[in-house]
Amino acid sequence: MKKNWLVGAWLGCALVMGFIGTAQAQSASDPTDAGKAVFKRGNCVGCHKWHGNGGGGYGGDALSLRKTELTREQIIETVTCGRPGTGMPFFVRGSYDTTKCYEMTRQDVADRMPPEANVFLRPNEIEAVADYVLARVKGKGEPTYDECIAFFGDGSRVCNIYKEAGHAAAPSDQSEKAKP
Amino acid sequence: MTRLNWVKSHMLAAAVASAATFAGSFALADDVGQDRLLNADKEAGNWLHHHKNYAATRFSSLADINKDNVKNLKVAWTMHLGGVEGGGIWSHGGLEGTPIVENGFMYVTDGWGSVYKIDAHGGKGVLLWKMDPKTDHDWAGAVACCGVDNRGVALWGNLVVSHTLDGRLIATNKETGQVAWQRQVADPDKGEVITGAPLIVKDMAITGVAGAEYGIRGWIAATDLKSQKEVWRTHTIPGKDEAGHETWKDDKDAKASGGGSTWVTGSFDPSTNTIVWGVGNPGPDWDNEYRPGDNLYTDSSLGLDADTGKIKWHYQHTPNDPYDYDSVAENVLVDVPGPNNTTQKLALEADRNGFAYAIDRNSGKFIWGLPFVKKVTWTKGLDPESGKPVEYDPKQGVQRYNAAVTPSRTNKVTDICPGNMGGKNWPPTAYNPNLKLWYIPVIESCNRITVEETTPDKLKKREFFTGGGPSQPVKITGSVTAIDVTTGKVAGKAETEFPNLGGILATPDLVFSGQPSGEVIAYDAKSLQQLWQFNTGGGVNAPPMTFSVDGKQYVAILVGLGGAWDKWFIDATPELKRMQPGSMLYVFAL
Repeated sequence: MKKNWLVGAWLGCALVMGFIGTAQAQSASDPTDAGKAVFKRGNCVGCHKWHGNGGGGYGGDALSLRKTELTREQIIETVTCGRPGTGMPFFVRGSYDTTKCYEMTRQDVADRMPPEANVFLRPNEIEAVADYVLARVKGKGEPTYDECIAFFGDGSRVCNIYKEAGHAAAPSDQSEKAKP
Repeated sequence: MTRLNWVKSHMLAAAVASAATFAGSFALADDVGQDRLLNADKEAGNWLHHHKNYAATRFSSLADINKDNVKNLKVAWTMHLGGVEGGGIWSHGGLEGTPIVENGFMYVTDGWGSVYKIDAHGGKGVLLWKMDPKTDHDWAGAVACCGVDNRGVALWGNLVVSHTLDGRLIATNKETGQVAWQRQVADPDKGEVITGAPLIVKDMAITGVAGAEYGIRGWIAATDLKSQKEVWRTHTIPGKDEAGHETWKDDKDAKASGGGSTWVTGSFDPSTNTIVWGVGNPGPDWDNEYRPGDNLYTDSSLGLDADTGKIKWHYQHTPNDPYDYDSVAENVLVDVPGPNNTTQKLALEADRNGFAYAIDRNSGKFIWGLPFVKKVTWTKGLDPESGKPVEYDPKQGVQRYNAAVTPSRTNKVTDICPGNMGGKNWPPTAYNPNLKLWYIPVIESCNRITVEETTPDKLKKREFFTGGGPSQPVKITGSVTAIDVTTGKVAGKAETEFPNLGGILATPDLVFSGQPSGEVIAYDAKSLQQLWQFNTGGGVNAPPMTFSVDGKQYVAILVGLGGAWDKWFIDATPELKRMQPGSMLYVFAL
């Protein structure tokens, strides 16, 4: 009996160790995961979309991060300060107040003051999101299925349209019937 | 009182009581069938249809709460709901639904389409069950142009019938809250989502679709609730051999992605077996040179044969629309005395283009129209015979209307009034049949349009296809505007600081509405004088309704600002940036 208990404890311990090991391996394999998390938390998706292409529509025209020519420093500055006269918000507490942005204070920028983001980011978070954009978004062509799955995981049908063929379109009545 | 009179009066009271009991138990035992839906207004304490009745009047005869005592209206109970979470391009959901009430039980939805059944007996609300359809947030939320919204349920048999943003029609057992069956009606892979409540007509659920900003080809679909099969699906943009296809004169097959969505629940005239349903804007929204021609049946009201979905008549308000002026609004079906002892059978529609229209709902012919907003700049007015904008020239493929302000490839940045949210958006009107007054929830607005020339390569699945976009340099306000339907004239206007994003309830001598800054307001039905208000602390983005249970009248409203406004239009109402997302049901009583 005691032996069984020991075996069980050892197995449980191994499972926990294994889980930690996998998590570490994943984060080690993709150093941009932290930046992707900031991309989601900052609601960059709300205008630039998951793929970063942005585009026009009801909310004006968010620029394409895939076609951007901004450098790492410029991306960091844009996230920190927003873009005056546009809907791109500033993400750092004190921008234009305690810290000048583009050499301007709040008084200088006046009615071109960009909106304040819904979340403020720390400098290391802004660096992370800039690194994510550089590694996974800037310079990429049309969005792909693999990129989409890497962003969303496979729990949603949001990536359906990027599959080359055979994704589920309008399903038949029978297959959609749920069990009561 | 003599002994005889005493006996008489008590016998009468007993008889009335027993009749009431009989009626009550009959209703309780009965499932919701076509007879009850046809006679929904005879069940005075219930609210069985999305728009209260097939005519879509949103008028309740309940009058225990009236202009003399409404000042004493207080919160009876509240309930927190869910569905605030974001998904896709949306940071949070909101509430736009109308509660349905049957025999003291209320059915409401949150923005992601969860259905809640609430027992409203005994002066309190008790949640009996919640059906969470597990809507695919990212799949649907990425292509919902205008918010994480769901406008409510319908009742049929022993089922609660609802939609989800990700395109499903779901039937839920009324007693258990278990899903009985579901069917995929719209396809988010094509940019289609569903926000409206179903309309139940003759054992069919009628579904409308959203997605004109994503290059869909719109439709209205009927599902047989018994077999769960599709009975008909009528596209709002004609196929290549159908009447109306000639109104798309381009060589790019623009009609295949021409918009024409149908996301507001319509109405039904049983005397002619006609479903009346509004159709939204053409796409791309602001580049009408991409799609020369009148672009039928966009921006139109349609009369459809209920059994076949065949289009019997149409009336188009803004041909070759360059403004995003949907005609998706509900048509209110009313009868008013006409000349020479005739009866005018009208369909009333308050259009995004700022004009209110009355058309003959048997023929689709224009009767009258007038501006219901304070400022219209895109046209000088309507032709009194045809109702078309006076500048409309059927010989031209591309309409310019008042060219000085109309967005076009040569007038790329321009201000229009009303703005593209329209003089009135989806929030429903209400009609008082006693006073013959029709109340419109108004957005008094202008906004700025920037045109982007569209080419066919810009059409991509699940991406915006709008030919430009709006911005909001001008403050936007609102009003409740009353129109006398016998004269076709404005009878009154109660101005509000903010646009009306919720819609209207009418009772015999009151009008209820709300503000996105939090207030629920009661007005005198004749004078539109404000008689009562209560600040809910959350943005009102849904219509009020009223019901009675245990012999007591209540007014209910969902509160939680979501929708298009707080993402796309908030700059026009900067004070509303302070409003927090929320999801709450308020119920008021004396």
